[in-house]
Amino acid sequence: MKIQTLGLASLCVILASCGGADTESAEYRGDEELPNGMTISEMIETRQDGLEDVGGSFKTISDELKKGDPNVADIQTAAANVEAHSQEIGDWFPEGTGADSGVETEALDSIWEDPEGFEAAITKFETAAGELNTAAQSGDVEAIQAAFETAGGTCKNCHDSYRADDD
Amino acid sequence: MTTPAKDVLVWDWTIRLFHWVTVGLIPALWWTAEEGHMAWHARLGLTLLGLLVFRLYWGVFGSPTARFSSFVKGPSAILAYARSSLRRPYVPSTGHNPLGALSVVALLGLLVAQVSFGLFAVDVDGLESGPLSSLVDFKTGRQFAEWHEFTFELLLWMIGLHVLAVLGYWLVLKTNLVRPMVTGRRPAETATPETATRNGVSLPRLVIGVALAGLPVFAVQL
Ligand code: HEC
Ligand code: HEM
Repeated sequence: MKIQTLGLASLCVILASCGGADTESAEYRGDEELPNGMTISEMIETRQDGLEDVGGSFKTISDELKKGDPNVADIQTAAANVEAHSQEIGDWFPEGTGADSGVETEALDSIWEDPEGFEAAITKFETAAGELNTAAQSGDVEAIQAAFETAGGTCKNCHDSYRADDD
Repeated sequence: MTTPAKDVLVWDWTIRLFHWVTVGLIPALWWTAEEGHMAWHARLGLTLLGLLVFRLYWGVFGSPTARFSSFVKGPSAILAYARSSLRRPYVPSTGHNPLGALSVVALLGLLVAQVSFGLFAVDVDGLESGPLSSLVDFKTGRQFAEWHEFTFELLLWMIGLHVLAVLGYWLVLKTNLVRPMVTGRRPAETATPETATRNGVSLPRLVIGVALAGLPVFAVQL
């Protein structure tokens, strides 16, 4: 009977922990204009498209590096694209484009609560993206591999603190 | 049936091994993904892929209680079983009962979906990806990752239901289903004799199954 009680108790714990927290939805303000002339929803869409593009380029590099004989030209194009975006990312998170705008975003409020930390994460990324592009243009696959891992760490570094849902 | 007091074999050892290795692999897969040990996540996931292929093969060519044809039944058989389970004393089925078969099919189906989605999944950094993800673009890979996450949630619910049902058999129907899944055996008097007779593992079929299971595991890594 003891084992049975234990079983029931642990089951209850498992079931109880399945219930997710409800996120309160903020009032929609996506049409409001930002100082840069874009609306909030346009800004969020632009940055998500940009980040998605960065992700796509990152996947290209990752796929190529996994092959025995990577296509260096494809890696070079992708790395140049990542570097270009790394210089834009600082403009993608103006004040007011968080989740409380009512627009769906995974950007956490910590971005605006901790601007120095966020700025530092951007700088790390910019540096690593620059080094990745330099390595890519050199064509040295081992150097590309090393720079790619470092740059990947800077994505994760920022996502861990400033992006919801670290999947 | 000369020695009626002897236990009969209801689950061959491959079924039991599959079951308990899977039970161990699921939390391990969850933990490795959560902690970012993705190389191990992929290794364990591919192990599970091999196990699943074997289980599906065994469901057609394996021992009688392992075969889908022996336990997957239509709605009328399920209803009849549900009604009979209200009668006392409750007489357990030798293999899966028609109702429990639904949970077996759902669990196996979810695991197949889970593993298949994982093969194509890409994480948000474009860094970690399943071995077949180079066949799809980033957006599609992200979609697979989301399904991979979603089926895991479904899987947790199904596992919860499965465990609840086993507890129910134990507490309400006074039937211990765990012991047979460990030892493979159940007292002869509670087992129907027909299916319990030849539940051993045929060696040639086992060898073919292991070879078949290994095939996709290596193929996806090429
Ligand atoms: C300075 C912080 C920061 C860095 C560095 C960073 N990201 Fe992100 N990323 C974010 C935030 C914040 C979001 C959530 C944006 C949103 O939902 O509005 C995000 C979202 C994303 C998304 C999802 C976009 C969508 O469609 O919702 C992808 C893909 C992504 N990042 C890829 C990358 C990759 C790849 C790198 C590195 C090469 C990277 N990011 C570096 C902060 C960062
Ligand atoms: C039944 C088997 C499996 C289970 C239970 C499982 C479970 C999980 C879980 C819980 C996550 C975390 C999702 C999240 O971030 O919330 C995950 C992520 C991931 N899994 Fe699996 N997995 C399985 C099989 C596989 C296989 C076979 C592969 C491929 C080799 C794979 C590749 C991945 C990848 C690439 C991710 C990261 C995707 C993301 O960032 O969301 N998985 N898995």
